[in-house]
Amino acid sequence: MKKEKKLMLIIFLISSILLATHEGEFWPFSIYPMFSQAGNPWSRGLVEDVQDSSRADLWDTKPLHVVEPRTLALKEYGIHEIDFANYISKTKVWDNTKLNGLRSTFQIDNYPGKMWMATRVVGHLTEQDSVVIEAIPMFLFTSDTTIKNPRLFPEELND
Amino acid sequence: MIDRIIKNLFEFEAPDSLGTKIQLRAFEVFTFIYLMIYAWEWAFYIPRLSTVVLPLGLANYIDISFFFNNNISVYNAVLITLFSVYPLLIKKQRWLYAIAAFLFHLQYVARFSQGEIPHSANLVGFSILALGLGAVFFRDKSIRHQLIFAFGFILFYLGLGYTTAAFSKLIATGITWVDGKHLWLWVGEKHIDILSKYGEFQLNWLQELALSSKGIATSVLLFGLFSEFFGFMVWFKKFRWAEIVLLIGLHIGIDLTMNIFFAAFTYQLILMGFPWNRWINRLPSSQNLNKNEFLNHWILFK
Repeated sequence: MKKEKKLMLIIFLISSILLATHEGEFWPFSIYPMFSQAGNPWSRGLVEDVQDSSRADLWDTKPLHVVEPRTLALKEYGIHEIDFANYISKTKVWDNTKLNGLRSTFQIDNYPGKMWMATRVVGHLTEQDSVVIEAIPMFLFTSDTTIKNPRLFPEELND
Repeated sequence: MIDRIIKNLFEFEAPDSLGTKIQLRAFEVFTFIYLMIYAWEWAFYIPRLSTVVLPLGLANYIDISFFFNNNISVYNAVLITLFSVYPLLIKKQRWLYAIAAFLFHLQYVARFSQGEIPHSANLVGFSILALGLGAVFFRDKSIRHQLIFAFGFILFYLGLGYTTAAFSKLIATGITWVDGKHLWLWVGEKHIDILSKYGEFQLNWLQELALSSKGIATSVLLFGLFSEFFGFMVWFKKFRWAEIVLLIGLHIGIDLTMNIFFAAFTYQLILMGFPWNRWINRLPSSQNLNKNEFLNHWILFK
C-alpha cells in the first residue's frame, strides 16, 4: 500500500496545483463549481424562425412566450444548443470573425429562403421572487446576409 | 486517517475471486465503451468549430484550433481507439492507456472550447487516466493489481468531486443556496436550453411541483446539497453503497428538475458503488467458473 499512498498523494498535489491555477478546471480534474452561485441572472440563447422580416416588433426585446412558438429546433440542424447559447451569451465583441463563426455554425447558406434570428435570452429573479425571462434579438441570418440589431449596434453598418 | 482511506480504497474482498475479476473487468470494458462513444461523437463535431471561445486544460498552452476545419479529430479518435482496444483485448502494453488518456484530453479541450464546461464525461476521463496510471506505475504487478489501483483512484476523485461541489456552493452562495427560488430560476434557464434544442418544452411533474411550492423546491435543493456534501463517504467500504444510493437519487433529481442526465456518470456509480463482487461470489457456480481457463484467458484475467 505504500506505493499507492505515495502515488495518490503526488497526484493529489499535482491536481490541486492545476485546479488552483486554472480556475478550478483542468479536465478531468474539477471542483465542479456549476450552479454554485445561486440566484444570479443568467443568459442563454435560442434561434427564432422568422417568417416575416418586415414585422414592426422584429428587433424588440420580447417576453419569452411571444418567441416560444417560433423557436427553431437546433437539434434538427445539427447545432449544439449549449455551444450556441455560450457563443451568443459570452461573446463580448461581435467582430467579423465572431459573426462569421456563428454563420458557419448555422450553415444557413444551405437553406435558401430561411431567416433565422439569433436571440439572446436573459432571466432574473424579481424582488417579488418571480422569474422574468426576456428574448433579445441579436442577428438576423439569411442565406446571403447578416443583419445586426440596429438598436444594439446603432453605429455599425450591416453586411 | 489517510492509511484508513487508502486501505478502504485499494483493498478488495477476495481479490482473486470470480466476482472481483468480473467487477474490475466490467469497469474496464465500460470505460472503453464510453471512451469510444465520446471520442467518436466529438470527432465528427469538432471540424464544424471555427474559433476558441474558452480554452480549457492544455488548450490554455497550445492553440487547439488546429483541430478545427479538418479531420485531425477523426485521426485522433482512430488513435484513441487503437491505444485502448489493444490493452483491453490483448491485455499487454497496458501503458498505451496513458497515451489514450492524453489524446482524449486533447479531444475534450478541442470539443469544449466553445464556452461550455460539461462534466458528464469527467468520470470516463478519470477512468482512462486511472487505467493509464495503474499500468505505468504498477507495470511490474498483475493486471488485477493495476485495475484495483484504477478502481480506488476513481473512487477517491469521485468522492472528492461531490464534496468539493457542495463546498463550492456553500462558499459561493452560503447556506441560502438551498432557497427554492433558486431552483425556479434554474428551471427557467433549462427551459430555454430544451426549447432551443427541440423547439418545444413541457414541464414534468417534479418541475410543476417545485414551481408550485417554495418549500418543495427548497427540499429538492436541500437533498441535493446533503447528498453531495457526504460524497467523501464513498471512500469507506462500509458507507459506500448508501452514499451511492443518495448520489443516484441526486442524479435522478437533477434530470427531473433541470433536464440534465449524466448517463455515463450514473451507470458508472452503479457499476462501481455496489459490492457486485460479493454478490457474484455467492452464486453457486462461481468457484467452478473461476477455474475456467477459457474465461480467465480470454475474457477476464489470471
